[in-house]
Amino acid sequence: MITLLDVSLPITAFVLFSLLTIPTIKVIRRRKSRKTALELCWFLAVFIVSSITVANIALKYYTEPSPKPFLNISLIGGSSAIFSSMFLVDAVSVYMAIIFTGVGAVTTLYSLFSIGSTEELSERYYAVMLMIIGCVIGTALAGDLLTLFIFWEATAAGSSFLMLYQKTVKSLHATLKYLVMIIMASAFIIYGLSVIYALTGTLNFWEVKHALAVLADKHLLEIAFVFIAAGYSIEAAVVPFHMWLPDAYTAVPAPSSAFLSALVDQASYYVLLRVLIYILTPPTVLPWTFMSAVLSALTMIVGNLLALTEKNIKRLIAYICIADVGYNLVAITSVTPLGRMGNLFFFLVGGITTALAFMVVGIFNSMGFKSLEDFSGVGRRMPLTSLAFIMAAFSFTGVPAFAGFIAKYLVFTSAVEANMSWLAVIGVLTSIIQAAYLLRLINYMYAKKPKEESKVKEPRKLLIPIFILAIAIVILGVYPNIILSLIEPVIQQFQTIP
Amino acid sequence: MGYTLLLVMVLPAMVVPFVYFVGKKSFKGAAFLIVLVCLADIALLLTTVPAILNGVDHRYVESYYWIPVLHASFTLFVDGISFSMAIITLILILAAALFSIDYMHERKGLAEYYTLLTLLSIGLVGVFITSNLMLFYFCWELMLLPSYFIIGEWGYREAYRAAFKFFIFTHAGAIFVLLGIGAIFMVTGDLDMFRAKTALMAANPEFVKWVLLSLTVGFAVKMAVVPVHMWLPDAHSEAPAPMSALLSGVIISAGAYAVLRVSMGTVFPAIMGTDFGGMFLHGLTVFGIITAFFGALIALVETDIKRIIAYSSIAHMGYVLFGLSLFPFQEPVTGTVLHLVNHAVSKGLFFLSAGAVMKQLEIRDIREMGGLAGKMPITATASTAAALSIAGAPAFACFMSEFIIFVGAFQTINSDGFYLVPTAFMLVATVLSLAYALRFLSHVFLGETKHESAIDPPRYMKLAMIILAVFTVILGVWPTFFIQLISSASLL
Repeated sequence: MITLLDVSLPITAFVLFSLLTIPTIKVIRRRKSRKTALELCWFLAVFIVSSITVANIALKYYTEPSPKPFLNISLIGGSSAIFSSMFLVDAVSVYMAIIFTGVGAVTTLYSLFSIGSTEELSERYYAVMLMIIGCVIGTALAGDLLTLFIFWEATAAGSSFLMLYQKTVKSLHATLKYLVMIIMASAFIIYGLSVIYALTGTLNFWEVKHALAVLADKHLLEIAFVFIAAGYSIEAAVVPFHMWLPDAYTAVPAPSSAFLSALVDQASYYVLLRVLIYILTPPTVLPWTFMSAVLSALTMIVGNLLALTEKNIKRLIAYICIADVGYNLVAITSVTPLGRMGNLFFFLVGGITTALAFMVVGIFNSMGFKSLEDFSGVGRRMPLTSLAFIMAAFSFTGVPAFAGFIAKYLVFTSAVEANMSWLAVIGVLTSIIQAAYLLRLINYMYAKKPKEESKVKEPRKLLIPIFILAIAIVILGVYPNIILSLIEPVIQQFQTIP
Repeated sequence: MGYTLLLVMVLPAMVVPFVYFVGKKSFKGAAFLIVLVCLADIALLLTTVPAILNGVDHRYVESYYWIPVLHASFTLFVDGISFSMAIITLILILAAALFSIDYMHERKGLAEYYTLLTLLSIGLVGVFITSNLMLFYFCWELMLLPSYFIIGEWGYREAYRAAFKFFIFTHAGAIFVLLGIGAIFMVTGDLDMFRAKTALMAANPEFVKWVLLSLTVGFAVKMAVVPVHMWLPDAHSEAPAPMSALLSGVIISAGAYAVLRVSMGTVFPAIMGTDFGGMFLHGLTVFGIITAFFGALIALVETDIKRIIAYSSIAHMGYVLFGLSLFPFQEPVTGTVLHLVNHAVSKGLFFLSAGAVMKQLEIRDIREMGGLAGKMPITATASTAAALSIAGAPAFACFMSEFIIFVGAFQTINSDGFYLVPTAFMLVATVLSLAYALRFLSHVFLGETKHESAIDPPRYMKLAMIILAVFTVILGVWPTFFIQLISSASLL
């Protein structure tokens, strides 16, 4: 049996470690030598302990003789209590917890090497980072709308600290924009949730779902839905509400944008998926699929067109993040099991690909290469970093043998399966646009003459996390079964939702 | 031998890191490693010949576990057609690797070059020997990525521009292919070509029509059929000679093979006999004629040594398309596949010898050349063999296959009068090909000597040309081995 202890352990572990990180790092900083090595050991310890707690849930979930599809654990006052907080362990949340831990570890490694031990206040940065990992895992394991909301808002609040880290004017502006949007979004969501609560008398996922399915008068539900969907769409940067994302991801330091895109972004898609698919489905409750299909088409088109005209490379990657929201929405819209798989696979692949791209661009930026023209001939001057970038670019584009292809294939076939071929066609066409601008970038990197020929010294340490992700992309591209077999139970479970 | 075809695929993949690290020390070692792998692959493939000739369905199949969720299994197979294409691909890669030793030796980054060549060989061979559409698409795109970098990095003049054009054109084409493959999966729930063929028979013909069109358009881009041929002249002429040989010999042939295997072999049977089926075939014929004439006429006036050959490749894809449009008769199919094989060898040889001339003289305009026959006898001989084969002269490879295609065409006229005029047109096109081939020979190798100091290229380049020249003659004189194999394969 999975108990409350099992579920809360990973969350508590991360939060506790996050609190311990500040004193520990301070003590390490007092030493004269081997600071980085000791810090590395500390984070290694953190992630080993937390992975054990996550693995514990996964093992218990999968080895249970007949795992109930859903498992509710009330925090306060039993399952009948009105405002009990609940956790839920199903195949989706277990999978999300696993990938959050894994990707979080790699991005933390990059932050550690990138920020280094010299910089002031970096211990707080690490602490917030661990806190956010704890919160996104909490989001994944939440079992009712309020718990989900609380963990998710905590994640968003933490993210704004990561964005503020460098305290430049630009990042202040970007953070302000982000905070305004997020606070607006949470107001929307809270309003929507209160209406849902009024309608159903509960916020537990499955009880809400059942109550909504038999609801007679849907007028209020429509209002609630619009508010909730708009709120979560703002946080996921779906197109009409995407304005904060490019600013935020461009202004912040590279490790932050890598971390945010790999974890917080994916968590926001997860929240969207959970709320739309698992609570408001079947779409007979509300015909929301057409609306989200239009939004996803818009997101893909706008994201890719903005990227096509963008000269600043970091901003270009941020626009690709927006386009990725669109691809994820395609799969959410399809409401088919294949779409679920596509989503879950895309969470991992999109996360590591954008993180990889941001990491690499971070190295380029630190060398002073920022715009398209700066990238001229950079491929010859920094061969390894450029190789990693090419791999990320081809994965974005969806070229086979890179993980992005399988992800996009799943997503587009799911759209066709759901009788929305037009959406798949738009997705495919925007992928060609993606190929065009990424290839133009690669052309700049290799074909153009650089201003100076000398080789640039590549930071060896930073290449370690980068190549962990790059190799993961190739392995997942050639043999995706590693992850797909893990996701497969999700499909069966999806079909047996009570 | 249980794992023959798996080894054929995996062997190049396994040596990729070795090629890189050996290449760092000595580029010659890397090239020989590729040659060894090619020889091993050829030997492995040859062991499947008895199974092809005597086996069930004249096929040799191996299947492995891959991505069960997507119904994608790692299914490898060879029948006569696949076998012939794979063997000729390996021979061309072998020749290209040998040729590169001397041709590329003063260039930078050779370890990367040979690594990319090895990666390319996985895709090139894989595309011919798999029957799973997903794996097919993987290999299809794996042909594209390394060639993009080889053309861009080691090509001439504005090489990356040409490579960019190549990538965008063929990638956009590949997206159409992917749409088609996805649609097949949607309709049949299967990604195996042979099983999908049976399943598609039951599908709605209106839908199958679009699948067929989408796939064929996608393949036609790679095949450089006329309205979508624009990438070919640039890519072929800017690429380094060994890569041009592979591009022209194998990659565009892969497009033709894909039309034959997937469009015709898998999807077309479902709508054969309907009005649209007939229209589709006639459409292919028309495009074939346009392509053949377009390529041949430009080759007649072009003065850049490699662009002439590039346009002649377009012209030859016109013949192939014409041959394909005579489907499903046995002779034209056999002739078409044989033509792909012959064209691969001859065009590979043609590009290699043109590369040798370019390398020795460092000019590309044929008007500045002349009288090289006496100075570069081996190159001249090789070029002559290639040019005569391309022109369709007897005793050289392409004559035999063109002959079989025309025999098939005359047979088809009996049942479908439409083909009367196209066949006449195609016969005129062969005259044009003789014209540009002779123009090439007379400008470059005959006439007054303009370059006194020109000599034959170094030995490995000579060796590579001699290997392909021998094959050109053998295929012209004794094509029975391949004809027997190819005609054993049944597409219907």
